[in-house]
Order: sequence, then structure tokens, then C-alpha cells
Amino acid sequence: MKMDVEESAKETGVELTDAENELYDRQIRLWGLESQKRLRTANILISGLNGLGAEITKNIILSGVNLVKLHDDKLVTEEDFCSQFLAARESLGNNRAEASLTRARALNPMVDISADTQPLSEKTADFFGQFDVVVINGASNEELLRIDTICRELGIKFFATDVWGMFGFHYAGLQKHCYVENVIKYKVISKPNEKVKYETVSTPVQREVEYPSYSNWLDFNINAPNYQRKLKRDGPGIILLRVLQNFRSTYKRDPSYKTREADIALLEQIRDELVPNSALSSDTLGLLFAQISPAVAVVGGVVAQEIIKVVTKMEAPHRNLFIFNPETCMGYVEQIGVN
Amino acid sequence: MAAAIDGVLPATLQELVKKSKVLVVGAGGIGCEVLKNLVLSGFTDIEIIDLDTIDLSNLNRQFLFHREHVGKSKARVARESALSFNPDANITAYHDSVTSTDYGVNFFKKFDVVLSALDNRAARNHVNRMCLNADVPLIESGTSGYNGQVELIKRGLTQCYECTPKEKQRSFPGCTIRNTPSEPIHCIVWAKHLFNQLFGESVEDEDISPDAADPEAQEAAAEAKDTGSAGDAPEGLNEKESEPATANGNVVRINTRQWAKDCNYDAGKLFNKFFNEDINYLLRMSNLWKSRKAPVPVQWDTLLIDGAGSKGPELARQTHKIWTLEECAHVFANALKELSAAFLKLEGNDTLVWDKDDQPAMDFVAACANVRSHIFDIERKSRFEIKSMAGNIIPAIATTNAITAGISVLRAFSVLQAKWEQCKAVYARLRLNGRNQFLVPDAFFPAPNPNCYVCASDPAITLRIDTKRVQIKAFRDEVLIKTLNMVNPDVTVESTGSILISSEEGETECNEQKLLSDMNIVDGVILKCDDFFQSYELSIIISHFDAERDDVLFEVIADKNQLQPKDEKPVEPEAEPSSRKRAANGNDATDDGPSTSKRSRLTEVEDDDDDCLVVEDDDDVEEQVQESVEDTVAAATNKLTVDCPQKTATKRKPSKTLDDEDVEDITEILDSSDEEVGPTKCKRTKLEETRAGEVINID
Repeated sequence: MKMDVEESAKETGVELTDAENELYDRQIRLWGLESQKRLRTANILISGLNGLGAEITKNIILSGVNLVKLHDDKLVTEEDFCSQFLAARESLGNNRAEASLTRARALNPMVDISADTQPLSEKTADFFGQFDVVVINGASNEELLRIDTICRELGIKFFATDVWGMFGFHYAGLQKHCYVENVIKYKVISKPNEKVKYETVSTPVQREVEYPSYSNWLDFNINAPNYQRKLKRDGPGIILLRVLQNFRSTYKRDPSYKTREADIALLEQIRDELVPNSALSSDTLGLLFAQISPAVAVVGGVVAQEIIKVVTKMEAPHRNLFIFNPETCMGYVEQIGVN
Repeated sequence: MAAAIDGVLPATLQELVKKSKVLVVGAGGIGCEVLKNLVLSGFTDIEIIDLDTIDLSNLNRQFLFHREHVGKSKARVARESALSFNPDANITAYHDSVTSTDYGVNFFKKFDVVLSALDNRAARNHVNRMCLNADVPLIESGTSGYNGQVELIKRGLTQCYECTPKEKQRSFPGCTIRNTPSEPIHCIVWAKHLFNQLFGESVEDEDISPDAADPEAQEAAAEAKDTGSAGDAPEGLNEKESEPATANGNVVRINTRQWAKDCNYDAGKLFNKFFNEDINYLLRMSNLWKSRKAPVPVQWDTLLIDGAGSKGPELARQTHKIWTLEECAHVFANALKELSAAFLKLEGNDTLVWDKDDQPAMDFVAACANVRSHIFDIERKSRFEIKSMAGNIIPAIATTNAITAGISVLRAFSVLQAKWEQCKAVYARLRLNGRNQFLVPDAFFPAPNPNCYVCASDPAITLRIDTKRVQIKAFRDEVLIKTLNMVNPDVTVESTGSILISSEEGETECNEQKLLSDMNIVDGVILKCDDFFQSYELSIIISHFDAERDDVLFEVIADKNQLQPKDEKPVEPEAEPSSRKRAANGNDATDDGPSTSKRSRLTEVEDDDDDCLVVEDDDDVEEQVQESVEDTVAAATNKLTVDCPQKTATKRKPSKTLDDEDVEDITEILDSSDEEVGPTKCKRTKLEETRAGEVINID
């Protein structure tokens, strides 16, 4: 089985240079040489260069992928300075993707990094087809559904992700995904009459898993009676995601710190309509403005780690909805549309 | 700068962020991320301290540093980079050690919260003590591979960092290293010692020559005498050999370093000395090979008929290949040439310092370790793998650091708002637990350990120690400083008030070479230790034992109940640990049934009859062991450690006394200085279970 892994990595035809071996030494010790070679060939799209986009971009560039496309048609605002560290203060009012280029390139000169400023709605299959992994930040559900469908047709790995204030999530649309997982077991190595001794044996196992489409999340009923026990156990994070996506599609914007109190009231209204008597407190709704750096770091770290898993085909990517609760710092995975 | 914009943060949090003063200890993988999060959140009063400089291998995760910064101060460059994110912040950077006496309790008292992002236990212990004394909340964090951990330490509320015993660094008895290696790591440690003998700072207990005083060989000699047979005991051997053993058993090789120099570092001569003559010497201690496979000496001329040639440099770059014996000889010759040239250029008594990132030094160790492994029929390793083991590298990645640092700063928000209930420890994991979580908060705060030798009132420990073999100097350096983490201790004998060790330089120097027993520090004596700088006082109750061949010479027992004989006070796991386990692992309650039964198997593994103290430093290993015992799928990529199942000291039978004057040399693999050393208390419960299982028999 291990041979298979090595063989398929050889197909990439990549050999790391001495400089790469040296720079990536520590991570190669964790995920192995073959994984690093796979990263070396991966092309990644990061659409939406808000704070979360910047965090994912940073981690992915550091990991040593081949190419990163920074895509955004929005401009740098004051709000971005809460977490978008790739855009300098002076870039206020400039395009966010272009404003991020200089610092992004400085993170790792070995990665090919460029910007694209065309609106997401104008991007078609031709564009997405250039990438192995597509990450979309801050888009509407309609847009996410459209891109997920394109990615499913092309076999491109798709991530939808967002952070509102301190709360965040990601949705993984990986279609059919194959990966290798090391199963470790204990083997008795002592002779029958001796004291028992063990040795660990690690066996790589190939697995294949189906990921449902984004429409499954849009159709998911959080009020379903058989879901209530789980909802109570995992907390109101999933309700919060619904409320926020609903706010975005209703008002064509996100809650704004400039209209903080009014927007909290709007959120409360949506909450009460969607899920009456929910455990989602108004205090929590006060934590949803701009993008707060430490929470963005957590979600951006998780999403980047998922991209690395997908590219290296090592370890199981989360299937399929990840939710981060900033108050408890609990991060869990909800299976949506998985049988 | 979230706090600078009205309406982004809730008003109370906004005010607290604006006015709080924060200390970040460590500007490495987690520290860089923490500093970024702090300035972007709008903290404006930040101090950061790190003694380290930037290395190329940091750049894959310490994102505030770029290629042009290599060699510069981490704290200062981190400050510069973070200021570009938020020019309104005030950041003070110290390029210094946090254990320096410049940073006393009053320094720590200035801060509202301390975030530690350290890479070694000694500094963590120290910061823990300073924050306890200053009564400042400490947010402690660590990562190792895919695993991360964040926990709050607050006096009176939580456990302190030292409430739970930490696994010791893996250490090996000298005779295993010198005479009877059985694992690759033994040969690697030996090769590092060889480097030091030839080029490095000469350390007495790093001798690489055969140890004729090996008790196992001596026992054989005694037996041989008893039975009247001539035998081939070392004594007889010594008469024949031109290198007589001294009283302490070290073969006198009139200065290995000088001898090698006099040979002009002739590769063939040195090779034959270490890998042929010395091995032949070992072979003559025939008792060692009664139950072991005997080593097979190798010879330079038969290996490299045409001499070393110039293949060495090219072979050395093949870091993932397992070199053949012949290839090892080529690399050895080339590394020897480079190292000796560098060494001869040094002035006066200067020496080379072994560094895993120094090409010839690493080549030398990889080649020598593999030749020795071949001789003892031990698996050979690639240079890449040997570097991990020799440099004790704990792999670190950007994503885990980012996640961990993010949680750290979120916890700082809760601390500033005094929302203590929201500050439970959080663990980051690669794989989901039974509740589909991989960022797992603890369910509650584990209570402080009433017997903690740091945060308890009137702390005391019992020290099992061979008082007839440990000198005062070793007691201070190995026990008080290295193990108990004091910085500059004073020690008095409780009953007499006499000063044994003084923190004033030179005051008690005359005691240093004396054995504890010579100073009347014997079983039952109580020592009062005081570290003025740390404001830390500790009583040490001495419990003498006679160490056996492979025993380490001392062991700290923090909880005196552990000394109770097994049948008098059976140690049973309390109900609490299992629920704690659940908290830490986040397993479903239903998982507890099967895993409890399997846990007993784990105990058996730890009760390994191997009688040397071999304990892993890396919490990852614990994680591995536990996961595998539970037959779950364990982390894929910790191959570097999985083949060393955790072992804990269990052999506790004091038997016959050895008349050996020499302090048995215990070899330690030191912390790597540039890596984030692992989650600090990953498995609190696991450790407690270990302790419960680790029953100590005192005859």
C-alpha cells in the first residue's frame, strides 16, 4: 500500500531542490517527502481577500504549493485592518487582491502568486478549471451553489468559508476523494512465557469517500425533530450560520459595526423566525462584526490544513461542515447530506 | 486594530483590549502568530521576549520572518513586522532569556496577562513560577505536529504548569551507550559523544570507549573467580591490554583528542580504532554477549580498498537514502576532513559545537551512528531520520501554530473580562473524537494538585537517590537545576542548619566534588532549598537507594504517597480520572467502557521489564500509545516516534551495592532549541493514570 502512495507521487515528476528541502525540512518531517512533492504541484484559488482570505493565503503559501491566485473585486476598507494583514495601511481604497500581493510574495518567494480583480459572478468554468482547489470567502449562497456545481463537473475540490466577527465555518465539497490514512495497531512481540511487550505497527490504508453537494446544506432542516438532540449537544453554532447567511441574502450585505445595535436587532429577528426559542443568545450576536484576528487565525488555520490534506491525499478531510464556536473554542464537524 | 474601531468589539471588551498590558514570551511559531493577533485586535501595549535568532528552517511557519532576516533577533524582527500591521501599537522587544534575573517578579507584575509560546520545559516551568508569584494569569500554549494545546494557569483557580509530573527526557545509561547498544538512538548518542570527544567541548561522562567497569561484565568476573575458571574477565584483559582500566573503569586513552590530532586525523586509523579495536575489546567482555548478539568489528582497508576518494560530499547530500557501510565510510572520511580542518583553525581552547544544521557535523554523526549500528546488527537509518533523532526535532507546521495562537488570544479576551468559566483548556487534534470535535475544550478545570511541589503551600518532594554515587555538584546541576528547574539555589540541611550549596559564587565550591553520603546527606535527611530569584522554597526528603547497572541515579517523587509499598496501599485510579480523560479526549461516555478495559493493557506496556528509565519527552508518543491501545486510527505522520513505545521506570529492587566510585553517566537528549516543544500537558489524565499504574516496590 505504501508503494502505491510512492508510485503515484512519482507521477508528478517533481523533485525538490536543495533549497526547498531546507526550507520545508520541518514539515517534511511531519507529512513526508511525497506529500511535499504533491504540494509542490498544486494550484490554489483564494477568492475573497478579507482577513480570512489573508490567513488561508498565508498558510498555503508557507506550505509550498506551486501557485496561488488571489481573487477579489472589492476594495480595502478600514474594517480589513482588524485581520487583513497582507494589505498595508496605505492601500486603503485599492483592490484587496492587488494590495495583498507584495506581502504575500514575501512569505515565500518560491510560490507563483498573482492577482485577479474580475467580479466573481463573471467567472466561469474556464477560470475555475485552472485550479486543483478553489476556496471562496464571503460569497452568497447562490454564488456558492453555482461554483460548487461547476467544481463538481470539473472534479475540482471546493471550499466555501466565512468568518463573521469571531464566528466561522467551512463547507467542503470534495466529490469523490481518495486518501491514505495510517492505521496504527499494537503487535505483541514478546514470547508466550515472557512479560508482554508491544510494538506499534503502522499500516497505510487507502480510503475513498463521497462528499455531497452544497445544495444539501441549503436544503438542510435544522428544525427537524430528529436533529434536536444533536443541536442541543453541539450548541447553537449551526443556527448562527443559518441566521448570518439569511441576513446576507436578505440585506445583500453583512452586519456592520457602523449600525451595530440596529443589525443586532435584525439578527435577533431572523433568529426568532428561523428557530424560535433557540439557545443563541443576544450576547453572541454582539460578537459578529468585522473579522476578529484570533478567530480568523483559527478558522484560516483549519481551512488551510484541510487544503493540505486534500492536496497531499493524506488523512481524512472533514466531511463536510466545520463550525467554530469562539466562546468555548470548540470546533466540530457536522455531516450534512451524508448517509 | 479591532478595538480602535467603535462597534467592532462589544464595548467592555474594546476598553479592556485598549488599556491592557500584555507580555508574549517567545517569538517562534506560536509567538509570531500571537503577536499578529494581538496588534490586529487592537492591543497597543505589548512586550515580547525571545533569546533566539532566526534560522532558515523557521521560515516555513514563523511568517513574520523572511530570508533576509536569517541570523537576526526573533523578538526584534517580530516587533518590526507586527508594527507594519498596526503602526499604532507600542511593542517592546527583548532579545534575551526570560530566565535572566533581569525579569523578576516585579517585571511580571506589570502585565494584565502573560501569553507563553515557549519551546522548552525549563523556561515554561520558570514562567509558571514567576506568574504564580506575581499573581498574573498565564495562558500557556504548545504544539507538536498536528497537536496543539492552550490552557490558563491562574493562582488558586487552576492547576499550575507543574501540578502534573512531566515525562522526563529520554535518557540512557552509560554502559548501554558504550558497551551494549540495541537501538539506533544508542548509536546516534554515541556518535554525538564521539564528535565531542574529538572536536567538541569535552564532557567527562560522554566517554565513547568500552566501559570495563560495566557491572554486568564484573559480575561475570566474580563468577569466573568463584568457579575457579580462568575466564576472560576484564581484569585479565586489562593486564594484556596496553590501555589499563582506571578505578572508574574508563579505559585510559591518553586523550582521544590529542591522539587523533597526532594521527593527522587519518580516516583509516580513526575508523579502525573506533570500529575495530574498540569492538574487539568489547568482544573480550564475553559475559556481555551471552544473551546478546555479539558485535562484528569492521575494518577500513577491507571496506575501502582504494581509500576514501571523493565520493563523500555527493553521498552526504542523499539524505533520504540509507547508506551502505562503504558509503558511510566515504562520508565519515569526508566529514572528518572538514571537521578537523575547522577544528585546527580554532584558537586556544576553543572547540566546535555540534549542531544538527551544520553539514559536516551532521554527516559525521550520521555516518558513525550507522557504522556502529551495522556492527551491532541494529537497523541503519537515513541521514534525514538520524537528524530528527540526534536533533530531537519536533516537527512544527504553520497551521497548527495559527490555530493554537488564535485560541490563545481568544482565551486572553476571556481572561481580561474575568470570564474564567470560558477559560478551560483546549486541545487541537488531527482527527475527530467520538463527538466529531477536533478543537476540544476541557469540560472543567482540574483542581490544583495539593501535593504539587511548586504551587502547594509548603511544597516538599521525596528524592530517591543513590547518595553513595552522586556528588554535590551533580545534585545541584542535575537534580535542582535540570530536574527541579531552579535557577540559582541555596541549600541547607534542615536539622543542622549548615549550608550545603550556596548561590554565592565560590562559597561552597569545596563541597562540589564530594558525594552526598560524604556530606552526611543520607536516607531520611531533609534539605531546605531556596531559590531567591524565583521566590521558591522546597523541602527535599532524601530517600537513599542503591542503583543497579542500568538504573538512573535519582528520581523525584513529587507525591510521597507513592512511596507506600503496593500491598499496604493499593493505588487505584479514582473515579475522577476517567471523567477527566473524557474531558481531555472528548470521547463519548459510551466509549468509556471498552477503553477502560483496554487501559489495563496500556499499563502492562508501561510496566515494561526494561529496567532503565526510558521516558519519552514528547506527548505525541503518549497520544500514540493511547490511541493505538484503543485500536483507533492514530495520527498518520508521527512515524518518527511511533517505534518507541513508552516505557516507564519500574524496576525498583534495591539489591547489592556497587563499589563503583564513578557516577554512572546518564546521557540526556537535550531539548532542541528551535522547535515548539509539544503540547505541554496533553494528557493530564493519561499522566495520572500512568502514575497510578506505576507502582513502586520498596523492599
